[in-house]
Amino acid sequence: MDQQGQNGLLATYREGWRNRSVVGIAFSALLVSFYVVLYWEHKVHQHLGIAPLTAISEAAGLRNRWYLYGALYSVAMITGGIYYLRRHGNSRYNRFRITVNVAIQVALGFTLPFIMPLFGGQELYFSYFWPLKYDYLYPQTLADLPLYFALYTVVGSLLAAPVLAVLYGKRWYCSWVCGCGGLANTFGDPWRHLTSKSTKSWRFEQVSVHLVLFIAIATTFLIGLDSLIGAEHPTFHRIVVGEHWQDWSIKSFYGFTVGAILAGVIGTGLYPVFGPRVWCRNFCPMAAVLGWVQKIGRYRIKVKPGMCISCGNCSTYCEMGIDVRSYAQADESFTRASCVGCGMCAHMCPRGVLKLENTWDRSEDKERQKLSVVDF
Amino acid sequence: MVAAMRIVIIGNGVAGMEAALAVRNREPSWDITLVSEESDHFFSRTALMWVFSGQMSHRDIEPLERDAYERLGFRRVRARAIGVDTERRQVSFAGGQEPVAYDRLLIASGSRPRPGPWPGSEARGVGHFVTLQDLDWYEREVHGGTSLAGGPPRPRLHATGRSSDSPYRFREVAAERRGRLAQQPAVIGGGLIGIEAVEVAVTAGLRPHFFIREEWFWPIALDPKEALWISDRMAQHGVEVHLEHEIEALDTDSDGNVVAVRTNRGRYPSDCVVIGIGVTPNTAWLAEAGIDLDDRGGIVVDEGLQTSVTDVFAAGDCASVRWFDGTRRPEQLWYTARDQGRVAGRRLLGDAPRYDRGTWYNSVKLMDIEYTTAGLVNWKLDGEENWFFEEKGRVRSTTRIVTQGGHVVGFNMLGRRWDHSVLTRWIEERRTLDWVLRHLNDAAFDTELVPRLRVRRA
Repeated sequence: MDQQGQNGLLATYREGWRNRSVVGIAFSALLVSFYVVLYWEHKVHQHLGIAPLTAISEAAGLRNRWYLYGALYSVAMITGGIYYLRRHGNSRYNRFRITVNVAIQVALGFTLPFIMPLFGGQELYFSYFWPLKYDYLYPQTLADLPLYFALYTVVGSLLAAPVLAVLYGKRWYCSWVCGCGGLANTFGDPWRHLTSKSTKSWRFEQVSVHLVLFIAIATTFLIGLDSLIGAEHPTFHRIVVGEHWQDWSIKSFYGFTVGAILAGVIGTGLYPVFGPRVWCRNFCPMAAVLGWVQKIGRYRIKVKPGMCISCGNCSTYCEMGIDVRSYAQADESFTRASCVGCGMCAHMCPRGVLKLENTWDRSEDKERQKLSVVDF
Repeated sequence: MVAAMRIVIIGNGVAGMEAALAVRNREPSWDITLVSEESDHFFSRTALMWVFSGQMSHRDIEPLERDAYERLGFRRVRARAIGVDTERRQVSFAGGQEPVAYDRLLIASGSRPRPGPWPGSEARGVGHFVTLQDLDWYEREVHGGTSLAGGPPRPRLHATGRSSDSPYRFREVAAERRGRLAQQPAVIGGGLIGIEAVEVAVTAGLRPHFFIREEWFWPIALDPKEALWISDRMAQHGVEVHLEHEIEALDTDSDGNVVAVRTNRGRYPSDCVVIGIGVTPNTAWLAEAGIDLDDRGGIVVDEGLQTSVTDVFAAGDCASVRWFDGTRRPEQLWYTARDQGRVAGRRLLGDAPRYDRGTWYNSVKLMDIEYTTAGLVNWKLDGEENWFFEEKGRVRSTTRIVTQGGHVVGFNMLGRRWDHSVLTRWIEERRTLDWVLRHLNDAAFDTELVPRLRVRRA
């Protein structure tokens, strides 16, 4: 039977592995160690003489450890997707969203990049765009890409992604397409209640996510400049790009801090401690851009006036740490930049107060008396 | 500029807290005292069931951050108020706490569970599901304690000043006495608290008895066809639904623990009993105060929520207000308590707003079936007609529209989401059934991708 709301009650806080218990923290440590080995296996090899992930990938016929990672990632999303749908799959929105998101990861995030080299091509990721896939707008990268894909990535990053976000909100990407969001919503779902709802965490997010966006744009700009003037200015070239890929440079610094530490080690490794959207909420530069666009677009969460009982299910299960309840209590339909449109607030609401929608019509909101119980 | 006032508010539920926030919003320097026997923080009473199951923590059901009292300058008194001296304008407390003086007083002391009238109703292992202390008791009986998120802060702070009849007292736990958790709970009372107590027991893996006095579940709101669907759903979840059972007694063992529920139809072994037969205004402590109460114990208030005594107001479950049909009685709903709290807040500030109750509406989730109602449903109006439609497909729903004299006066909807603000507007606009059926989907509040309801005219 198709339903719209949560089917039965959850026992979230009665399950140890989901709650910063010894088991939860041990699991987090395991994930962090995995990412450390994944990103710095050459260092591990230097010190310990073993390269475990490369050995496993070769044994499994997956060519290198990055394909092994892609395969594990897909398995984690499929498993997590099943876990999620067993709990929340009674709603069509949840079923469609999770199915599409997992299918895109398996097809475009793993299978296609894996088989493309078999036909003599490069491995290309159709489901990622700049600034999330930050090197896709570097002039040197664009020059090396096949023309059709270079066009795809430029048009996709600079035009299609923002336009779709105006029409449907950032959720079209963050909750339906993106692999990072997909992992958070499937494999990371058991920990979604752990995302902090405090005002402090909101302030942190506003600073950190825009800081990373600034660094991403500045890095792209400097690398673009380098392709024009790098040859005549060797010092500039050394600082921005470096002589060798392993050298410290602005380019490798961004890859190290943002790509490896923030997205991988912290963003995913700490799911069982800080909730599943640490990366998306606090650091993802693409989420920052789409968030701005979302604020001026059609998407919003509509609040049915006078029906909220302030129970807090919406806020508890918001993986982005939005205090949805504060808007519902105030009878205020709203759009928050960070909202990824997963729909769980509306799903968990026992009174059907919330509804995700795309509309330009804001007229009825103005008629409503704004009586906030929280904001001063 | 008005001289700074001393505001005292009895009760930190939604009515009390809304009033306090309204006052603080306009008067940063007024002295505001919030009194609560039950808890340090304002929390959503409607959410106790989710704390029980482990779906939410105590922190999660508190709408404000925990520094709210300090940040907003609310003085907290955590004690049982035992009387009001309206001459000397002060409130007195149990446990030897100093009385607190007021210039304007708001009584928002809420409801208390109606006690069971049967022999054995106060036995060990018998309780209610209304207060934080009830939650604590029921969790100990069924789960052996709180979830991993823990209990509320300073749970026993009020224990020194408690009296034996307080709704916030801690009950003895039969499971602890027996050394075995409850295995066969029973819930008495076919209303909303009853179905919550049943649902949480199901989530804990038990198959509770559910004793309902009436012919079908929740007859005040549902008709037999609608109620049958809910009962079937409960049965599918493992609930033993017993309709038309009159309770006769709760049997205990030699140690005083409950062991069975006896009804007019049989004896049902049970080791934990939740009585959910309604709530009454929590106003017994006002007996000596000289404030008028009605025969239900509700505090009589005027259109502006003032009691029979000047500068003393009442709001929320404890206040007997005028309903849309002109009668006066307490409204035991979250959103009316919220609205009354906002009106009372403005009264405390010296304004003269009126509490104006519009068309009735409500919504709730019965197990996993969503329910929305608006207007006059099950009121047995003269000449009323009920138009009923059942949708049986991937989406299952029922739609009942009540008409009287050619225009629509009520809606009763199960299985789908509806915007009650549109439904109530149609009732106020006196729309015809034809018109409403043509426009029905304008009131749909279904989540995206859910196919719209297509009604077939009979």
